[in-house]
Amino acid sequence: MLKIENLSASYQTIDGPVHVVKHLNFDIRDNEIFGIAGESGCGKTTLLRVLYDIIQYPLSIDEGRVVLSGVKKGVPYELTTGEIRKAWWNNISYVPQAAQSVLNPIMRLKDQFLDSIPKQDRGDESKEQTLDRVRSYLKELGLSPDVLNAYPFQLSGGMRQRAIIALATFMSPGLILADEPTTALDVVVQRGILMMLTRLQKQYKNTLVIVSHDMGVHYQICDRVGIMYSGSLVELGPTADLFREPLHPYSRMLIGALPVVGDKSAKEGIPGRPPSLKDPPPGCRFAPRCPRASERCRREVPEFRQVRPGRFAACHLLEEEAQSHA
Amino acid sequence: MKFRKYFGLRLVTWALTILIGVTFIFFIPRMFPTDPVENMIGQIQSRSGQMDPQEMAALRKSLRVQFGLEGSLWEQYLAYLWRGLLHFDFGPSLVSFPTPAGEIIATYLPYTLFLSLISTLLAWIIGNAIGLLAGFRKNKRSSKILEGIAICIYPVPYFLVALILQIVFAYLLGWFPLQSNINAMGGTAAYLRSLFRASFLPALSQLLVGTGWWIISMKSLSAATAEEDFVQYARFRGLAERRIGASYVMRNSILTQITALAMSLGGAFNGAIMTEIIFSYPGVGALIQKAILQSDYNMILGCITISIVAISTATLIADLIYPFIDPRIRYS
Repeated sequence: MLKIENLSASYQTIDGPVHVVKHLNFDIRDNEIFGIAGESGCGKTTLLRVLYDIIQYPLSIDEGRVVLSGVKKGVPYELTTGEIRKAWWNNISYVPQAAQSVLNPIMRLKDQFLDSIPKQDRGDESKEQTLDRVRSYLKELGLSPDVLNAYPFQLSGGMRQRAIIALATFMSPGLILADEPTTALDVVVQRGILMMLTRLQKQYKNTLVIVSHDMGVHYQICDRVGIMYSGSLVELGPTADLFREPLHPYSRMLIGALPVVGDKSAKEGIPGRPPSLKDPPPGCRFAPRCPRASERCRREVPEFRQVRPGRFAACHLLEEEAQSHA
Repeated sequence: MKFRKYFGLRLVTWALTILIGVTFIFFIPRMFPTDPVENMIGQIQSRSGQMDPQEMAALRKSLRVQFGLEGSLWEQYLAYLWRGLLHFDFGPSLVSFPTPAGEIIATYLPYTLFLSLISTLLAWIIGNAIGLLAGFRKNKRSSKILEGIAICIYPVPYFLVALILQIVFAYLLGWFPLQSNINAMGGTAAYLRSLFRASFLPALSQLLVGTGWWIISMKSLSAATAEEDFVQYARFRGLAERRIGASYVMRNSILTQITALAMSLGGAFNGAIMTEIIFSYPGVGALIQKAILQSDYNMILGCITISIVAISTATLIADLIYPFIDPRIRYS
């Protein structure tokens, strides 16, 4: 399980700190596919970096922490921010955006696989024995073992991304973080990669966190989705419920803008732009673009709270709604 | 199949480069207003008085044959290509007549090769090792100090470094001879000792200046590589820093340096001239200088032909080995 406890992080800039992630409080459960959605610049990737414990200048944590816990090979572990990096690849791994540049261009894939397998895991296996394990794992994932003899430039974008996913999951980590894993690929390849990820998750019962700006990706594979806006979560809930009945005005507008087969009505974008993270509005950060914003919304930051069982949101309107029902 | 085609084409350009180069150095001295045969006759006449016109004509003719200057320019050119380029026979040295220039070059060449190869290779290894550390761990204090030293040494003109070394170690401390004297008479041990004493300071001076350049270039190469996504990702994959430094940063940034090494080995003659003059080291560099001062055309031709062949062969080798070290490059 991954617990995010009151987490705030910021980038140091010459104009002072920019708060990119603000007061996040949520859990990612074991054995689920969790999606993080939101438009560019809302802090998705930064959040993922903090979860993965990549905290280096100019990024810093202002308060709160991340706790990673689980059991591997019968041994329970609990690691917090600062220690998580010790568990890289073993208990937590990272799949970057599909790109040519994340693999060493002049090394065969088999050597890069061997590099990523810790000594204690290999024991006194010979190189070939380890590679045999890798080969059978690749076959399990429906990949040809021949990719091991290839250099990264000899693989297509889709193949490369599959190989990277295989690389990131070979050690069967409990948690896999994927940052826009399908973004640079065409839809057919995208589908293949998504199927591979879900099949993997079902088989090995680990947790998968997918960051994407593509709502379609979340709809297809995620069990739960969190929607980020300007550095905070505005809504979190089971995917089906959230898409059927979004509670927060931002998620409502976001989902309302998705095309639906058979629906011929004109789709509308959300007017305005996300606020600057450097100088955010004082109250609810969505208030300037919200059609239903009140005086209170512009003044007071809404609390992220459970509004219905299993459903969380940060909006004053929902509070008022709940009160009027009561 | 592709490789053969590439290799054939590359070999043709190699031969063409050499041909064009030697053509220039063949024709340029022949456009000089001076004539080495007349110079020689003038020298002989000033030493032994006026000569009989008939004798003089015979002498002129035999000198022309000896110097390779008989026949039309075209015939001379073909004869030079045949003898000089294919057999490294450049005719007699005009100054040490009648010893063949090729023979003199052959006695001096090993010394230049010995000195240049050792100092170039050492400078390359040391400079790249330091540069890699400085670039890969650029925030460490030791890296900054090493780079600072390199930046301070590199721009100092070579002759200044050489002169300072000579003044300090040869003149003030007297550890090494001021004039390089290689003792070829007193047996192997004495020969090696004198060779070491004669070449230490020249090698050190080339090493100091050469290392500075390798440090600076390798530092910027490896610092740029260290910022690449695949190095960052290697870190996220939990790889040890040492492994990342060796297999991810070094292997990718050394590629450029290998080509540069081949080029600098080929150009070692050029660097040799200054060193050998300052330390009066008995190599081809000093030989070229003497030949130019004394208008020894055959000697100039010989030295420069060898230098042209060396540089273009080094480039050829660099081009041919590159695909073996970088899998992304294929012959086409």
